[in-house]
Amino acid sequence: MTAVQTPKAAHVTQQASKPIAEQKHLKIGKRASLGIALFATLCVAALGTFHLVVRNSDTLYMAQSQSFFTTNNIFLQECMHIPGGFISWIASFLTQFFYIPALGASIMIGLWLISMWLSKWAYGVKMAWMAVLSIPVICLLVSTIDIGYWIYYMKQTGYWFYGTVGYFFTTLLVFVGHRILKRKDRYLATALVALTYPFLGWYTLLTLAYLAVLAYVDSPADRPKSRRILATLFPLVLVCLTPWLFHHLYTALSLEEAWTVGLYNFQSDQTISATRLIPFYVMAAVPLLFPLLPKRTELKDGMAWLVYGVTVLLMVGACIWTEKRDFQNYNYHAEMRMYQAADDQDWEKVLDEMGNIPGNASRQMVLMKNIALLYTGQMGTKMFKYNNMGAQPQNGFDTLKIHMVQTAAPLIYYYHGKTNFASRWCIENSVEFGYNFANLKILARCALVGGEMELAKKYLDILSTSLFYRDWAMCLMPITKNPKLIKNYQEFDTVRELRDHMGSVLDGDNGLCEMYLLNYFSNTMRKDSKLLQELTLNYAMVQKDIQLFWPRFLVYAQLHPNEEMPVHYQEAAYLYGQLEPQSMNTSRMPFDEKVVERYQGFQQLSQSLLQTGMKAEEVGEAMKSSYGDTFYWFYFFSRNVHSY
Amino acid sequence: MKVKRILRYMKLKNILSAAMVVLLMACDHPAVPDNAQQENRLPKISPDYTEVTIPCNICPLNFAVQEDVNEVVAKFSYPGGELTYGQHQQVLIDEMEWKNILKASKGGSIQVEVYGKTANGWKVFKPFNIYVAEDSIDQYISYRVIQPSYVAYEQLSINQRDLTSFNETEIYNNMAVSMEGSGQCINCHSYQNFKTDNMLFHMRQGFGGTMMVVDGHLRKVDLKTDSTISAGVYPAWHPTKSLIAFSTNKTGQSFHTKDLNKIEVQDTYSDLILYDVEKNEVSNISNKPNELEVFPTWSPDGKKLYFCSAHFEYKQTDSIPPETEMIQRYKEVKYDLWQADFNPNTKKFSNFEKIYDAADSLNQSVTLPRVSPDGRYLLFAQAEFGCFHVWHSDADIYMMDLKTKKVQKLDAVNSSRSESYPTWSSNGRWIMVASRRDDGNYTRPYIAYFDKQGKAHKAFEVPQKEPDFYTFFLRSFNRSEFMKEPVKISAQEFARKAKEDAVKAKFVK
Repeated sequence: MTAVQTPKAAHVTQQASKPIAEQKHLKIGKRASLGIALFATLCVAALGTFHLVVRNSDTLYMAQSQSFFTTNNIFLQECMHIPGGFISWIASFLTQFFYIPALGASIMIGLWLISMWLSKWAYGVKMAWMAVLSIPVICLLVSTIDIGYWIYYMKQTGYWFYGTVGYFFTTLLVFVGHRILKRKDRYLATALVALTYPFLGWYTLLTLAYLAVLAYVDSPADRPKSRRILATLFPLVLVCLTPWLFHHLYTALSLEEAWTVGLYNFQSDQTISATRLIPFYVMAAVPLLFPLLPKRTELKDGMAWLVYGVTVLLMVGACIWTEKRDFQNYNYHAEMRMYQAADDQDWEKVLDEMGNIPGNASRQMVLMKNIALLYTGQMGTKMFKYNNMGAQPQNGFDTLKIHMVQTAAPLIYYYHGKTNFASRWCIENSVEFGYNFANLKILARCALVGGEMELAKKYLDILSTSLFYRDWAMCLMPITKNPKLIKNYQEFDTVRELRDHMGSVLDGDNGLCEMYLLNYFSNTMRKDSKLLQELTLNYAMVQKDIQLFWPRFLVYAQLHPNEEMPVHYQEAAYLYGQLEPQSMNTSRMPFDEKVVERYQGFQQLSQSLLQTGMKAEEVGEAMKSSYGDTFYWFYFFSRNVHSY
Repeated sequence: MKVKRILRYMKLKNILSAAMVVLLMACDHPAVPDNAQQENRLPKISPDYTEVTIPCNICPLNFAVQEDVNEVVAKFSYPGGELTYGQHQQVLIDEMEWKNILKASKGGSIQVEVYGKTANGWKVFKPFNIYVAEDSIDQYISYRVIQPSYVAYEQLSINQRDLTSFNETEIYNNMAVSMEGSGQCINCHSYQNFKTDNMLFHMRQGFGGTMMVVDGHLRKVDLKTDSTISAGVYPAWHPTKSLIAFSTNKTGQSFHTKDLNKIEVQDTYSDLILYDVEKNEVSNISNKPNELEVFPTWSPDGKKLYFCSAHFEYKQTDSIPPETEMIQRYKEVKYDLWQADFNPNTKKFSNFEKIYDAADSLNQSVTLPRVSPDGRYLLFAQAEFGCFHVWHSDADIYMMDLKTKKVQKLDAVNSSRSESYPTWSSNGRWIMVASRRDDGNYTRPYIAYFDKQGKAHKAFEVPQKEPDFYTFFLRSFNRSEFMKEPVKISAQEFARKAKEDAVKAKFVK
């Protein structure tokens, strides 16, 4: 009787018969493959968490506030106005979750990991190659963290999740079209994929391209060559034809854009940022290689080394690439944190951020600081204690020109009581970049302060359909029914006082928010509002205009008869009295001893440093530590500041 | 095999049955609540369709009930029937049923009784009427869709809407030709005699020019000549000849720091020109110094041209350029209403005459005149100053009886906010105005019945499928015009033509 060996037993016997030296060869079995796959997965999750949550929480929060979503049909219809609109709609919905950055990041990372593993099945790739499968999602991570100031100039609805959702759908369609359906149904499946073009735009074309590669690579060996070529060509023909055919159905789509609709062009009036498209090109190209990855169950020797090598190399490469592309400009992030704090009227936080800046603050930060000081009544004592130099914002990786009117001007105007100008820039920016939650909030506030209750209700109604601004909107809604209730909302007090005491003229800012505010307020004279009067005094000081200063200084003194004169106003008065004695007789003014002493010390030190042959800028730098908190230093050394 | 077929049939039957149920549920008419408590006032509904007169061919007047209620039922009683509608707080009317309701109510009225469910049970509001006129309305209107305009422009479209249904399509969308850095502004669509075989609109900046359809054929022209201030701006097609009167304007924009009118748009200079479509020639109609002539419009017989003109003398100091002076003195610019005789054969204008002295006599400013199709009445917008009344909250619609030259304010059409850009339907029975009554900032088209006795009735907002459409739609409807037919040229054809070079018009004296 012959014993019948089970296949497993046969395998064991064969193994046992192999020489010991051969068994030591490197081999990747199922468990090792799983280990590699989990390692790659963990790496992606860790990288995502580090760059999104740890490094870019402020960016993500700003991203959602610069985005918009409402459940109303109109928004869906507007999204669907161009191919790929369905992705925009879902992506906009998901972007809302960045309101809690860790939550939004988790959803994003979750989608990446699902896409990675789904692509394993969709393309029939072995687990050991998971690092390669992670390349597209690494690209998506890079495309999220290298945005920089484009965050304010983004025109693609739902950009932040657009790539993630697009890639997920692509992978899902490949999975369904190539793995779930039988071979005989694949022509139909491919045709159906083409019909997703109105929903997925560019990502439909990518799906078709991937299906073409799969049709060629996965074709059975016994299949006639002609059928193999036909199966490959069919999706490729659809790639060419689909946009052309659908283009006729769209009124807002030019034929040239039909093949790339959904691939965002980082383009402004003066800048085209080609480097920001690299992650998307890589993301699109790499899946074409997935079907070519070796499909052997066990990877041995050279191949095993290759897998380990590729995995380590890719993960290290991912770390380096993400680190290089993560836009970690201090001011860029601090500006966003200050914006959020100002929006929440957390003035202490605004001032803390300003105090912690390592280099020169941007002009936007200086203005935010001014607002925080105005709203906390500290302008006279702290206005010049901070760095007021104003660095020009620099975008990473390109020369995008940043204009304050497109970043924070609406909020800055609003807090200066200039509600019309705030509304104007909210609308102008919405025209260019679409409506967003941040602008709708400002528009609602401006309408409430201006007494336009129906308009305020409109904006609040829209905000109340969002996930995270609903409570904010509902809290303010009672004012629209009873305008008198606005007095109960402390957040409007200062804006109302400033606005109510302002004159009404026809004007224009020529796109320069800071220059306009400085000119407007320094040339305004009001006695009926202490708040507005103090603002005019301070902006006259910032203008370094002695003629503007004195009348405002005297009015301040009249309005605050029994109060101590704040140190900066004393410093300015003492300095101007010394510089132009004919402009005002300051000999009888009761200056604090310290003010006089510091002025004398400032003069002596600056003179002695100048005598050493130092240039004015070098003197300023040298005196910064001892006198950088005085108006004297600001007056002499804060120069060449460019607003933008 | 048979069993399989039966099973398949059964499946199909199930699917059909389910579909029927869904369909029936969709068309479900809620029951009128019993024991509803009477509320002795009209319900607050949006849009406001209470006591309005509507055309006998208008689409359903869907509305939302803006009361503190969770559920609503609206009972529509009409000659020979009664139907109820209600979904949460909205009243959405089936289009087929609405057609039957209108048919039955033509020349009569529909009574609407609204029930609302509160925590304490149902209440019923005072019923209101919707009067259905014997007169129909032109099937189409067209408008530019634009954000409340400041300086920037991005996506703009001119859309046409079928008033008998909710269908809306785009005539032209600038995104099909615009690119970053070469953005395109589009404006001033205009038709000859409510028909679309002769029509135009302007494109500015990228691929600029005037897009014209002449006898159904597309052409793109550049109306700017060395002898005119600008290319053609506000157009008016002659009713019978291939002629178009335009204003030419040097326009500026400035911003109120506090005033809720927010924006001022002023013409530093403006004249009137005549464009001969066949000859591609431009000639002057009026370019008097110290006069700002604008907003031409023809009488239906084409023998008179009406327009507005403001007398304004610049002080001409070296230190202040005219643009700045205009900003400083913007409240002094007040337009009167003028007319001139026109001989269609010689193409000559004569007898320029001021027919409404708004500036000196009334301290007011008249803009946007439009003559009724029977030539009897002239509508215009009037406010305290300036030419851009869409941003003037005091702007209202007035009407001049051209027989008697008497002017009356159309109270039924106006609101406390801006009304401007009045237009007539082709049968003269309907007036459409651009109104900002909803919220003061977003312009919406309102239609009012104008009866044979010359009386205007309460205006109603152009109905939308979604009652909350106007809340969520963050763009204005600009220059709404009636059309008897849709534009036949596709948006893609317009876009292709737009990319071509414009043919330059010649100036002739």
